[in-house]
Amino acid sequence: MAGEESTPYLDELRHLRSMAKHPSIINLLSSEIFSLEKDQSPPLPPQSSPPRLSQEVMSAAEKAKQTNVTARSCGKKYVASEDEKDPTKYYENRLNYIATLKNPYPHESSVSKSITEYVKEYQGLLKDQQGVHLENVTESLAGMVMKQRSSGPGCFFYDLCGDRARVQIYASASNSDMDKSEFVKIHSNVKRGDIVNVTGFPGKTMSGQISIFARSFVVLAPCLHMMPTVNPKKITEETEEWGPGRPRNPETYSLKDQETRYRQRHLDLRINPDVQRIVVETRSEITFYIRRFLHSRQFREVETPILNTTAGGATARPFMTHHNELDMQLYMRIAPELYLKQLVVGGIERVFEIGKQFRNEGIDLTHNPEFATCEFYQAYADYNHMMELTEEMLSGMVKELTGGYKIMYHSNGLDKDPIEIDFTPPFRRIDMIEELNKIANLAINPEDLFSEEANSDLKVACEKYGIQCPPPETTTRLLDKLVDHFLEEQCVNPTFIINHPEIMSPLAKWHRSRPGLTERFELFASKHELCNGYTELNNPIVQRQRFANQLKDRQSGDDEAMPLDEGFCRALEYGLPPTGGVGIGIDRLCMLLTDSVNIKEVIPFPTMKPQDQPSARPSYKY
Amino acid sequence: MDAVRLWSLSSQPLKHLIRTTTTRLVIRCCSSTTTATNPGGRAPKAGGRNRRLSTSTSTSDRDAVRAIRLKKVEELRSKGLEPYGYGWERTHSANQLQDIYRHLGNGEESKPDKDGVSIAGRIVARRAFGKLAFLTLRDDSGTIQLYCEKERLAGDQFDQLKSLVDIGDIVGANGSIKRTEKGELSVYVNSFAILTKSLLPLPDKYHGLTDVDKRYRQRYVDMIANPEVADVFRKRAKVVSEIRKTVESFGFIEVETPVLQGAAGGAEARPFVTYHNSLGRDLYLRIATELHLKRMLVGGFEKVYEIGRIFRNEGISTRHNPEFTTIEMYEAYSDYESMMNMTEEIVTRCALAVHGKLTLDYQGVEIHLERPWRRETMHNLVKEATGITFNELGNDLQVAKEVTLKNLGADLDYKHKSSIEACSSVGHLLNEVFEIIVEPKLVQPTFVLDYPIEISPLAKPHRRHVGLTERFELFVCGRELANAFSELTDPMDQRGRLEEQVRQHNEKRAAAISEIGGAEDKREENDESYEVTLDDDFLTALEYGMPPASGMGLGIDRLVMLLTNSASIRDVIAFPVLKIQQ
Repeated sequence: MAGEESTPYLDELRHLRSMAKHPSIINLLSSEIFSLEKDQSPPLPPQSSPPRLSQEVMSAAEKAKQTNVTARSCGKKYVASEDEKDPTKYYENRLNYIATLKNPYPHESSVSKSITEYVKEYQGLLKDQQGVHLENVTESLAGMVMKQRSSGPGCFFYDLCGDRARVQIYASASNSDMDKSEFVKIHSNVKRGDIVNVTGFPGKTMSGQISIFARSFVVLAPCLHMMPTVNPKKITEETEEWGPGRPRNPETYSLKDQETRYRQRHLDLRINPDVQRIVVETRSEITFYIRRFLHSRQFREVETPILNTTAGGATARPFMTHHNELDMQLYMRIAPELYLKQLVVGGIERVFEIGKQFRNEGIDLTHNPEFATCEFYQAYADYNHMMELTEEMLSGMVKELTGGYKIMYHSNGLDKDPIEIDFTPPFRRIDMIEELNKIANLAINPEDLFSEEANSDLKVACEKYGIQCPPPETTTRLLDKLVDHFLEEQCVNPTFIINHPEIMSPLAKWHRSRPGLTERFELFASKHELCNGYTELNNPIVQRQRFANQLKDRQSGDDEAMPLDEGFCRALEYGLPPTGGVGIGIDRLCMLLTDSVNIKEVIPFPTMKPQDQPSARPSYKY
Repeated sequence: MDAVRLWSLSSQPLKHLIRTTTTRLVIRCCSSTTTATNPGGRAPKAGGRNRRLSTSTSTSDRDAVRAIRLKKVEELRSKGLEPYGYGWERTHSANQLQDIYRHLGNGEESKPDKDGVSIAGRIVARRAFGKLAFLTLRDDSGTIQLYCEKERLAGDQFDQLKSLVDIGDIVGANGSIKRTEKGELSVYVNSFAILTKSLLPLPDKYHGLTDVDKRYRQRYVDMIANPEVADVFRKRAKVVSEIRKTVESFGFIEVETPVLQGAAGGAEARPFVTYHNSLGRDLYLRIATELHLKRMLVGGFEKVYEIGRIFRNEGISTRHNPEFTTIEMYEAYSDYESMMNMTEEIVTRCALAVHGKLTLDYQGVEIHLERPWRRETMHNLVKEATGITFNELGNDLQVAKEVTLKNLGADLDYKHKSSIEACSSVGHLLNEVFEIIVEPKLVQPTFVLDYPIEISPLAKPHRRHVGLTERFELFVCGRELANAFSELTDPMDQRGRLEEQVRQHNEKRAAAISEIGGAEDKREENDESYEVTLDDDFLTALEYGMPPASGMGLGIDRLVMLLTNSASIRDVIAFPVLKIQQ
C-alpha cells in the first residue's frame, strides 16, 4: 500500500485481525489499524473499487495528487475520488448522485448529545480503557464529516465535527441496520462536508479513540461542492486550542485566501479551527461581559434610532437614504450619543446601548462602514469616575477572558514577533497639551486656540516635524495630527490621553479648573483609540456655541465637522443632570483580544468590494 | 471662578454668530419641534398643521420663562455658584429611602447617621411658605419630598432656594430623614446645590402632553411629565435582557450580521437603499437577518441568534415603524415543533419578568399566557371560521375563488373582494381568507400551523402534506408576534422558489409601471417599484450543506407593546420616525 510504513505494533494488529473470527473483534481491530494508519499514509481509496481505479488513484497519490483523476475511470454510480481537481465536474457528479435519492434533505434528525458532551461523557466513563463497546447504550450525534477513510467494503471511518469538537464514527456493515449493498452505496458516496446523523453505541478503539459505532447513518444535507483541503497536520497535531489574548497567525491556516475567507465565511468557519472562537465567540464574550458589567451597576440597555434626520454625536460622513412614503431624506447614525443623553434628560439615569454605527468612509485594516460600539452614560458622574469605570471594565474583561492582564498582539505585523499589551490597572494618564508642549517643545496655550495665530503656529510646528496634514488645515485637525505623532505613539499599553482642548471636543464640558480645556479622555491601546469619554456638556448656551464653532470648520471645508442638532440643544434646556459618558469601540476590542490586525477578522460578514466576476465558483445550469 | 470667566469670555464674541445661523439651522433640523425657542429672540415660526393653539400661545410664555431663568443662571454665577455642576455623590435613591424608612412614624426624625443621606434628582413640584419649603424630587427610582427649613440651612441658602430653584431643575441635597406630621417621608435638608439649571418650563399635565406629536418628538419631556412613559422603556430594557438570558440559557450564541448588504433578502419588503462613496456602489439596509444567520449554520454553529434592527421602507402606522427590532434564532437538528416550545418559553419568561404573572390586560382584554397555547392548522382555523374546507377544493383556483366568495360574499367589503380576486394561487387565497376573517379573532395566543408553500419561500415542505410547509406564526391580540419554520435546506428547491419570487415581483413591477404609464409624477412610486435580486452567495452556502434546522423571528417591539399595554408601536420606541414637520 502506498506510503505504508509498518510498525511492529501495527503488524501485530494485522496479524491478530487475520486470526480473528468474531466480527466485532475484527471490527475493533480494523478500527485500531486504521486509526494508526491514517497518521502514516494519505487517505486510502476504497478497496472495493475495481483494481483499475485503485491503481490509478495510487499512482495519482504518488504524483502528489497532481493528475486529474476523474469520474471517467470511476464508474457511473459512484462519485470520483477526493483527488478530483475539477470543481465543476465534482459539483455535477454530486448533483447527479443526489438526483438518484428519494429525499436528499430529510426532515427528521435526532440528536441525543452534542459532540462535546458525548466526548466528555465517554472520555470520563471509559477512562484508561481501550477497545470497549457499550452496546446497550444508544446515542445519536449529528455534525459535519471532515475526514473519511475506509478499510474495505464493509467498514468506514469518519471524523464527525461540530460544536468545536470531533469524534470518530465507525461504520461497519455488520453493525448497520442496512443491507450490505445499500450500506456500501451510501457510504461510498459520503463526501467531506456532508452533514450526517449517526445513531449507535459508544465505545473506544484499541488506540483509545472515542468513537460512535454506527447502527444507522443518514446524510442530512450533502455537500455539493468540493471542500477546500485541510492541512492534515492541523487535524492530527494536538495543538493547543487558541484562546483570547493569545497570539495567532492566519497565514498558517488551511484556508488562507482572504477573499474566500471573508466572502464565504461559512467555509472559513468550517475549515479553520480558530475562526469560530475569534469571529463569533470572543465577540459574544466581550459584549456579554460588558452587558453584565453595566447591568450589575444599574445601567439599562436602550435602543435609539439608526435612521435620523440629522447625523450628530460625532464627526464623520454619514450614509444617506430615502424613505419613499414619507418622501424624506434620512441619515444613518454615526453615533447614538445625542439620543442617549436625551434619555438621561428624560429620567433614565444610567443608560447604555450596544449597537451598530455607520460611517461612509473608506475601508481599510481598521475601518468597516458599519461597526459596533457601546456607549454608556451615568448621571451625577464626571470623567474621573468614568475613567475609573472604563479601567475597571476593560481590565476586568481582559482578566476574565484571558485569565490574566497581559495579552499578545502582532501590532507590527505577522512577520514580526507579537508584543505584550498590559491591561493591569491603573492605566497611565497623559495630559494632552502639557505633554505635547513638553515633548514637541511647543507653547500651545489652550485659551487662544480659536485664534488665527494659534492656527499658523500649529502649521509651523507640523512643518518643522515633517507632519503631513491634508487640507483643510483647521486647528482641530492640526492638533489631531500632532497628538497622533507625539502622544499616541507612546500608547502601546492602555493609556488615557486626557484634558483635550475645547476646540477638539464639541460635546465635552469645559474643564472645571483649566481654561480652554475640557474634561475629556481617550483611551489608546496598541496606538489605536479604544474609548472616548467625557463629562458631558450640559449647558445649552455653550453647546450652541460649540456647534457654531463646528460650523466654522465646516465652512472652511471640513465636512466632518459636527452639524447643529437643534432638537438636542432644546433637550439640554430642560436640564441634563451632570453626566459622564463613554463610547467604546467593540470591534477594536475584539481585534486586540483576538490578535487581529485586520478588522475583517472580527466581523462575520465584512463589507467587501463588489466582485468583478460573479465569483470563482462554477457556473450552474438551471 | 475660572469656569465662570471662561463662560462669559467665550460667549460674547460668538453671540452674533448664533443669531445669524440659528434660523438656517433650525430649518435644517427636521426632528425639531413646533415649539422651537431661540436665543436670539426670533419670533416663533408660523404654526404648522400639527400645531395646537395652546402650544402656540405658550411659546411666548416660554421665551419669557427662559429669559428669567437665564438671569438666574447669571445670578448663580455672580454668587460663585456653578449652575451646571460636575457631579454629585449620592448615598441613596429615593426608592431606597422610602423602603428603608417605611416604618418611621409620623413626625419622627431618624437618628441621623454620621453624614445623613444624600440624594439627587429633578424637582417636579414645590410649595414655599415663609420659613418652610416643600419640594418633590424625582430620580430614576421614584420620588421623595425635600423638607427645607430656613433655620436648618446655612447662610442665605433658604432664600436662594426660594428665589433660584424652579420646577425642572436638577438638584442635589443632603440631610437627615423625617416623616412629616402628614405622613410624607422627607429628606430634612441640611444643604443643597443646583446641579443643572433648567431653562424651559415643564409642561403641565393637562396641556403639554395632549400634543401627541410632541410626545414623540420630545420624548424626554413626555418622560419627565409622565413617569409611566419612562417606565415603558425600563420595561423594554427588562424584556430584551430577559430574552437574551433565556436564549443564552439554552446555549444560543449571538452573532452580529451586517445591516448594509449587497442584496436585501430573507423577506419580501421594500428595502432602504444607500450609497457607499468609496466603494462606489449601492447598498441595501437589511430587511431580515435570516440569510446571514443561516450561513452561520452552514459554517458549523448549531444555535445562533441575533437581536437587531431591521429596516423596511414602508408606511408608518400604529404597528409599523421603518426600523424595528427582532430576535431571529436558528437551531440545527430541530424542527418547527421545538421552536413553538421555545417561543412559549421566551414570551412567558418575559411576561413574568415584567408582570410577575401570566394573565395580563391588553387594551381592556384579558390575555392568558399560561401554557400550552393553542396549536391549530391554518386550514382548520379557516374551516372553523368560514366553513370552507380548502383541502377539498383541490388546485382549481377559479373554483376556490367562487366557493370563497359564495360563502363569504355577504361579509366582505369591496376591498377584500378585490384582494380575493387578485390571488394568484389557492395558497394565496387561503392566506387571504385567513388574514381577513381569522386573524382578528386570534386574541388569545395561538400558533397557526402549516402555511401554504406559495407564501413561504424559505420554509421546508411539510413532511406529510403536499403543498404545505412546516411553518407557524404566533398570533396574540389579532397580531402576528412570531414567524417560524423548519428551514428549507435543499439548495435546488430554494433557488427555484427564490427565482419564482423574483419573477413574480418583476411581473407585478412591470404591470405597475405600465399602469402608471409615466403619466403621473415619477415620485408616486408604486409599492413594487424596487428591485429584488437573488442572494447567490446564500444559495452557494446552502450547496455546501446546511443541517436541518428550525428558525424563528419574533418582533420585540410588538412583544413590548403587549407586555406594557401600549396601543401603538410608537409608545415602545423611544424615538420613532415621524413625518417631516412643516
